[in-house]
Amino acid sequence: MLSITTTPAWGEFTFDAGQALLPGMVGYAKVMIAAVGLLLLMLMAGTVDRTDEERIAAGRASFDPLRSNRAEFYAFFLFSLTGLMLVAGADTLLWMFLALELTSLPTYIMVAISTQRNRSREAAVKYFFLGALGAAVFLYGFTLIYGGCGTARLNEIHDHIALHGINTLTMAGIMLSLLGLGFKIAAVPMHFYTPDVYEGAAPQVSAFLAFVPKTAGFMAILLLAATIGWTYDPGAVKGVIRASEHGTQLPEAVRVLLWVMAAMTMTVGNILAVLQSSVKRILAYSSIAHSGYMLVGVIAGPGDGSFTGSGVGAVLFYLMAYGVMNVGAFAVLAALERGRRDDGDAIEIETVDDLRGLWSSHPRMALVMLVCNLSLLGMPPLLGFFGKLPLFTSAIGAGEVPLVIVLGVNSAIAAYYYLRLAFVPMLENADRGAGAPRAAPFRSREIAGLLSAAGVIALAVFGASIMKRVEAAAKVSPTIAEIQATATP
Amino acid sequence: MQTVLAGILAATIGSPPEGGGDGVAHGATAMLLVPALTLLGVVLTGLCAAFRVKNKLPAWISVGLLAASFVIVLKTYLEQSTGVRIAHGFEWITFSLGQHNGGPIPFVANFSLYVDSLTLLWMLFVTGLGALIALYASEYMSHDVGAGYCRFFAAFNLFVFSMSCLVMADNLLLLFLGWEGVGLCSYLLIGYFYKKPAAVAAAKKAFIMNRIGDLGLVLGMMGTFVAFGTIQMVPLFDMISRGVDGAGQPIGGTWVEWVLPMLFTVGAFGKSAQLFFYVWLPDAMEGPTPVSALIHAATMVTAGVFLIARMMPLYTLDESHFILSAVAWSGAITAFWAATIGMAHFDIKRIMGYSTVSQLGFMFAGLGVMTSTGAAFHVFTHAFFKATLFLACGAVMHGFAGQLDLRKLSGLRKMPGWRIVALAMLVGALNLAGFPLLAGYWSKDIILAEAFVMNGPVGWILLLTAGLTAYYTFRAYFRVFEGPVEYHAGDDHHGADDHAHDRHGHDGHDGHDAHDAHAKAEHGHEGHGGHGGHGGEFHPHAPGWAINLVLTVLSVGCFAIIPLTFMGDHGGWVGTMVHHSTAHIEHAGDPALAPHGTFLGMDPHKVMYYVSGIVGFVGIAVAWWLHLAGRTSAATSRADALAAKLGPIVRGARGRWYVDEIYDFLICRPLWVLAHVFHQVDQWIVDGLVNLTGGLPRFVGATVRPSQSGELHGYAVGMAGGVAVLLIVVLLAVT
Repeated sequence: MLSITTTPAWGEFTFDAGQALLPGMVGYAKVMIAAVGLLLLMLMAGTVDRTDEERIAAGRASFDPLRSNRAEFYAFFLFSLTGLMLVAGADTLLWMFLALELTSLPTYIMVAISTQRNRSREAAVKYFFLGALGAAVFLYGFTLIYGGCGTARLNEIHDHIALHGINTLTMAGIMLSLLGLGFKIAAVPMHFYTPDVYEGAAPQVSAFLAFVPKTAGFMAILLLAATIGWTYDPGAVKGVIRASEHGTQLPEAVRVLLWVMAAMTMTVGNILAVLQSSVKRILAYSSIAHSGYMLVGVIAGPGDGSFTGSGVGAVLFYLMAYGVMNVGAFAVLAALERGRRDDGDAIEIETVDDLRGLWSSHPRMALVMLVCNLSLLGMPPLLGFFGKLPLFTSAIGAGEVPLVIVLGVNSAIAAYYYLRLAFVPMLENADRGAGAPRAAPFRSREIAGLLSAAGVIALAVFGASIMKRVEAAAKVSPTIAEIQATATP
Repeated sequence: MQTVLAGILAATIGSPPEGGGDGVAHGATAMLLVPALTLLGVVLTGLCAAFRVKNKLPAWISVGLLAASFVIVLKTYLEQSTGVRIAHGFEWITFSLGQHNGGPIPFVANFSLYVDSLTLLWMLFVTGLGALIALYASEYMSHDVGAGYCRFFAAFNLFVFSMSCLVMADNLLLLFLGWEGVGLCSYLLIGYFYKKPAAVAAAKKAFIMNRIGDLGLVLGMMGTFVAFGTIQMVPLFDMISRGVDGAGQPIGGTWVEWVLPMLFTVGAFGKSAQLFFYVWLPDAMEGPTPVSALIHAATMVTAGVFLIARMMPLYTLDESHFILSAVAWSGAITAFWAATIGMAHFDIKRIMGYSTVSQLGFMFAGLGVMTSTGAAFHVFTHAFFKATLFLACGAVMHGFAGQLDLRKLSGLRKMPGWRIVALAMLVGALNLAGFPLLAGYWSKDIILAEAFVMNGPVGWILLLTAGLTAYYTFRAYFRVFEGPVEYHAGDDHHGADDHAHDRHGHDGHDGHDAHDAHAKAEHGHEGHGGHGGHGGEFHPHAPGWAINLVLTVLSVGCFAIIPLTFMGDHGGWVGTMVHHSTAHIEHAGDPALAPHGTFLGMDPHKVMYYVSGIVGFVGIAVAWWLHLAGRTSAATSRADALAAKLGPIVRGARGRWYVDEIYDFLICRPLWVLAHVFHQVDQWIVDGLVNLTGGLPRFVGATVRPSQSGELHGYAVGMAGGVAVLLIVVLLAVT
């Protein structure tokens, strides 16, 4: 417990035998989570009970504590972010599991109460049951790893694998863990829930779902991968798998699994996004695709440790970039409404066509949409480009050229729907009858969107210091062989 | 104060300057403030637009910031010794590319400034003239106060920002950023009157012509990286001076010695409107006159000269100087060609436009005959006197409702309130004509003398051009400012904002009826415009204090820079500046290196003073005889009879030798036809294929889509099945 709560300061650490595997990640992750969490909090304003309060204020109802969910909602919001920070600092499999569940369980409820529509409740139920299935898979995996190595502490597993190789039980455990964690990051084949849940939840909660569980999943995956280490000979497949001094890859079986997951995830996500007309479903499928991109970084590994050479750093930077630009895109949806239902609930933006005429009615939101979607697409001067760039370069450095080609093709497919999202609000006029969307009465949502758009530009221009932090955060503990080599010169 | 600001700046935007492990002095960090201040100007003027400022605030912001930039540059110049200083801003791009000899090749392009004396020379007149011309524009653009005014000054500041990036870049990528930035600003400002078709067409033309040159620069940049493994100036020049390339091998071969300089030359020719590329520059006069003065006369168009001067070590690698002599020939031909067109035109601003092309030709010829001092000096003096000329033309245009036709204006000097403009015009014209002892005379003289030394024919072409220059310059001056007082207003009326400029442009194509004051009577006039042509209805308004002040300062400046010719040990102050920079040519003028040419058997260095002075006098005298002596009205002169006799030659020059038409026929038409053919191919064949391929993801998607049925148990089965399938796939793949 102590080791997860006392974390090294932002960017400072030293290596010791028997300490955290990604010692720099904790500090970086906490700052990133807190920063994006603030943006998300601004986005959450007025999410639950708003109509209730209006009724009470109008004297048409009296306050009933049993009917009010507001406190719970924000408590769950904070619980989930706490869980997320704990994942970053997890040092045993048990803590990792508990932290992951602390991240996820509140989100199920947040989805359910985010709107008063039945659609949200249906989404929450689906999310909960499928989430339980996913958790079962990686919990099973964790158990097998424990069985294979005889310890649940990550650095001891790491030493065990480094000294004795990966036995079959451990390998099976790792496979199942990675697949189960695929649920958190919405990777194929665990992605099915994503569009339904994102569509059912209020847009601000969807933004939350796209960042928080995904970040938790990726940090857990990075920790697991660091436990195995990226120092396996590509040829050492048959027989006992041992860490070599010159290898630069995950064990072949893990690599193939992640390779297939990455390729499938980005392709399925992008192709299905092309077909959608609902903005939230497009963003949901694209969120799947982005997980696929980031998996490429996991495969590439720490590389030479530079910003453009490290896949681990690329994932960490991309998580931050994705968090910022994704909040911006969802903020546009959250800050706008097409009207009110009889019960006072906002009628949300549904299809891309609902965004027509935004430039003339809400130029600021149209600009946010433009900037954030171009960034999600990976347009050069924006943050998304600097996020994607190290994914490409690190993967090339690791020799994963076919995967890079898949990544490139998928980035091109993504242009189809991102450009639509970016330019429909700018260029097309609203139908005469429908009218342009109007602003929701929550200014802070708009401010969150503007901040995200500003961040997308500013972090791209002045990102050098963050890139340095990322380089430090992505440092992987040396293998035990390396420690022994330096200890006895 | 500035150093404190610079420190804060450096601390906020990036890492502190790294130690000079590479043996290069770091410092001159104050120079970082120049791009910072001008960028601040863009932001502030943009905010003015956002808050709908309806006064001259954007102009004062710009003038203040540009003046501050000038002070910073001046201070750095006074502090700077002769060496090179790198002002490290922030880390911009650092890559590792591929593998070479066991290590990755670093691709480094920082936002760092390379400050040497060449940089400072350019920055001094870029920021100085920038501030002055911004002041001038504050009055000139006053009819557009409001959104247009903010837009103008935002682009103006962005231009100075880009130009400072270009001139001070410590790597080719930053230089390219500035290069494209000035191109963009040029496009924005030429097309400032965006409701005017001629302006929009001119803006597009300038932008598209520049793309060809930019391609050369991009390829040159890539080639440099391939050959030297770096695009940073310091290691690049270090390698060149040691004579080794990136792999440590001795430099040699056509690639480095010929192809790279040629690519850079193409880039320089595009930006500086030389040879085949010149056609965009005269049309660029559609922009507001301050823009023509700053961008299309004094600064941006000299970027090509700067590029070649900066990369001079690369050009002098080749012992035979093939590329340099090609540059000399191109410059001389362009100078002559543009001068002939300038002689026949009637639009004084266009005449100045062609004159700029011609003078740029002189500068390139100077570079080509290896007197980078002469070229840089001519850039410097030209910046002053050509800005003066343009601003004087602008004052005329401002006062006479857009009238620029020299047949419709006469005797302005004698009109009340126009004395300063007339004097400024005279000063500029005397400089341009190369009147003895003036600044323009000294700088042109160096180029002419060296041209006769290095390359006789080029020298003769330039000398002839110098005579033509004197003629066309004074033709314009004598027609507009001397002789009987007579004027006809133009048809350009300053409305409340730029939307009033939707009428036809200052069409220079035939020069006959473009400015017929009678042509437009039906539109409403606002303010002082009035439609002239009928004597008393139109009242020209003489320029106000800002325009007069700037013209005075610049005219005085034209004289003040004369003593610079005699300072220092290396051929004047500019020569000293060039001597301590990359533009310095080691063995320039070495008799062993090149044939020491003569001028009719005499030493060009000694006789050229007299010869060029005489040629200038002859040109002025001819202009006086043809265009002033005995002239009784604005529209007629003795030259008319001569023009009638010369017939086709004059018509050809007036028709700009039909170069635009030839380009249209040879390039645009074929491309247009090809485009239509391709369009058909695209529509019927490619689109069909694309629809077929595009159908594939849709088809795949449609087949996968039923899996998203929305049913919980369906999803659960999908997940479990997916896990199983993936595990089997891995099992099969690994064993």
